[in-house]
Amino acid sequence: MGELAVSTLAEDELMTIGLGSCIGVAVVDRAKSVAALAHVMLPDASAVPNAPAGKFADTAIPALIEQSERVGARRVRLEAVLVGGAQMFEVGVGSTLDIGARNAVAVREALARARIPVRAQETGGRRGRTMRVHVGAMTVTVKEAGGREVELWSGSPSPRRSAEAIHR
Amino acid sequence: MSAPDYTDMQLDAMRELANIGSGQAATALASMLGKEVELSVPRALALPLADAVDAVGPAEKTVSSVVLPIFGEIDALVLLLFPTEDAATLCSMLGVEAGTEVGDSAIGEIGNILGTSYINALASMAGLAIEPKPPHVVTDMLGAIVASLLSQTVGETDSALVLDTGLAVAGVQCELSFLLLPTTGGIAELLGRLGVGS
Repeated sequence: MGELAVSTLAEDELMTIGLGSCIGVAVVDRAKSVAALAHVMLPDASAVPNAPAGKFADTAIPALIEQSERVGARRVRLEAVLVGGAQMFEVGVGSTLDIGARNAVAVREALARARIPVRAQETGGRRGRTMRVHVGAMTVTVKEAGGREVELWSGSPSPRRSAEAIHR
Repeated sequence: MSAPDYTDMQLDAMRELANIGSGQAATALASMLGKEVELSVPRALALPLADAVDAVGPAEKTVSSVVLPIFGEIDALVLLLFPTEDAATLCSMLGVEAGTEVGDSAIGEIGNILGTSYINALASMAGLAIEPKPPHVVTDMLGAIVASLLSQTVGETDSALVLDTGLAVAGVQCELSFLLLPTTGGIAELLGRLGVGS
């Protein structure tokens, strides 16, 4: 929870097991084979300095961008895939009901502010999910408890890279 | 706000609390089933969020759970986790079928009785006025259950305090873990009431 990882290695798989109300946000640059994944727990980090990079939606998106750029991604090429944000329980403590839906809204807003398009998403509902980002194949898969792994998004082969090649 | 550190004395006090609470819960389960119930040594775990789920169990494992929110002078969540097979064993001991509405309701009722015994012990030991809300039953991935609940309790802090005890029914394969997840404010209040506040 609250973690963030980035990879450029084709054999790598970034994953977050058992997303409930949390959201897995993947940001990728297909042309550079860069993939980054954050595990967002809560919507907003106001007045919380030094929190783990991925914990809050509003700080996780800038951190994903920064870390992706550091390993060669171009900001204008970044695309996002979202998974999670379920409401697993109808009960809770305090005013924290349906964190999942609030997380999803906050993540989408933060991505919109950064002008990163959301290419695929599977959010809401009542079930937990496991999300995997296959760096080499540039695909995102989702699996529910007791279910089968399903491909949610496939970013390969890179259309942008072939478009650039044709222009030359 | 960074992660709070707890002293050994504070963790001991929390463990003792978990011990007494789960002892009461074990007694309640034993009298309900008419069987002996064994209790593991409780753990009081103060963990970075990144490690909290793994400390409870394998994140992708499907489990049955009962959640009982507690409110009053402290806010906390009581969580019972059963391997799904063991939940089925428990249901059959009570003469109901697992996975049905009646089965879920029986599991919820067990959670209610055990959770209430636990928090009654906690309330009298720490001198707290607290009450449970109705239980909620969910079967899903352990990681999704625990992480969703911790999102509700940890707030601004980057660590979680988890009090964890195992209960096992003698003679059958039926184990469950019993967890108390206090909110950050709840932990400070609890420690203060136990005379080991910071």
